[in-house]
Amino acid sequence: MRAILVGMGAVGARSARQLLSSNSISELIVFSQRAAGAEAKVAALGGAGVVRPELLSDASFSEALRGASVVLLAAPGLRFWHAEESVRAGVPVVSVSDDPGDVRKLLDLDGEATRQGVAVAVGAGMVPGLSCLLTAWAASSMDELSEVHVASLGTGGPACARRHHAALREPVEEWRDGAWERKVASSGRELVWFPEQAGADCYRINRPDTLLIARTYPGLRFATTRAAASRRDRFTSWLPMLRPPHPEGTVGAVRVEVRGLRGGAADTVVVGAGGRPALLAGAVAAAIAARAASGQLPAGAGGLASLVESPGEVLADLSERGVRLVTFEGATMSPA
Amino acid sequence: MDSGTGRDSGKTKLKLLSRALFAVGLTALAAIIIRLRGSGGTPPHGGGWRELSATDLEPMDKK
Repeated sequence: MRAILVGMGAVGARSARQLLSSNSISELIVFSQRAAGAEAKVAALGGAGVVRPELLSDASFSEALRGASVVLLAAPGLRFWHAEESVRAGVPVVSVSDDPGDVRKLLDLDGEATRQGVAVAVGAGMVPGLSCLLTAWAASSMDELSEVHVASLGTGGPACARRHHAALREPVEEWRDGAWERKVASSGRELVWFPEQAGADCYRINRPDTLLIARTYPGLRFATTRAAASRRDRFTSWLPMLRPPHPEGTVGAVRVEVRGLRGGAADTVVVGAGGRPALLAGAVAAAIAARAASGQLPAGAGGLASLVESPGEVLADLSERGVRLVTFEGATMSPA
Repeated sequence: MDSGTGRDSGKTKLKLLSRALFAVGLTALAAIIIRLRGSGGTPPHGGGWRELSATDLEPMDKK
């Protein structure tokens, strides 16, 4: 099968490596806006498949779509045209974007994707992505779901760090009592204990996890998203980034707290994963892209919690790819 | 005489304005400190993380 990858940043490179190691993809066309950097990264990729780097242009992208099984969009600043063109050509799309604006645009493709019989997997990275899979898996153990709280730590590549910086100043939409409520970003401090990490102060952030989760579970009472941020991050969020972001974040984690009713009693499930954010995002993107390419995802546009019928299977796949998934056992709150 | 009263009135207004600006500045400073410092946070008092096994990840109806 032929896969198309747009973007060869930190997440794109990890996704490419994971796609090629799965052996289900025999040919990978890598589109990048900077040919020199992409060629060096492509040369470093392992795996059995054929990898072809190409300079991104509308004509070359349209040409590559012929015979492609899946398109993975991992470039910062999504060009909606690539997704639209892929759906029109009947090729499934997987996007790793964590920008709520991009996510809304991709969700608008639902009607066209359903007509074409292809899947548009929206938010297939770490947050959203792994967060949605963990939510779906934990929710499947509940009789009734009432709250989902997502928290994350760390950023992937420079584009992800820039997005994190902007998301700490943009207005945040939270799902409260079955309706959207606007909140101030960088507010609502909560001390969150992440897997493999010490506790970190987390704050409201403009990320699309809440939107994707509330769409999947409309009966939810609360859905929130927070991210770890330092005082400097919050204090300087209204300014341009004061120094260039790191090439790739080394510390990362995601934590999902799901509350609801199980066996007639209130219950809480806390699940998470730790690792380099780009690595986690790349593993999720590749696992979802492989499923989309082999027609295992239903037609339509949606987040992973709505598109993936058996999240446990995907999580088991991620576990085989080296993602360490954990659950918290014990008391999460002190008896105030 | 008249001009002296006018000067006094102007000085009073200026004093009032500077006091108001000082109060607004002080409030803003307090808000920034509170916003940056935050409050609350409860660490877990027991338990720990356990790795999910393949059995854990099986669909619920298969368990």
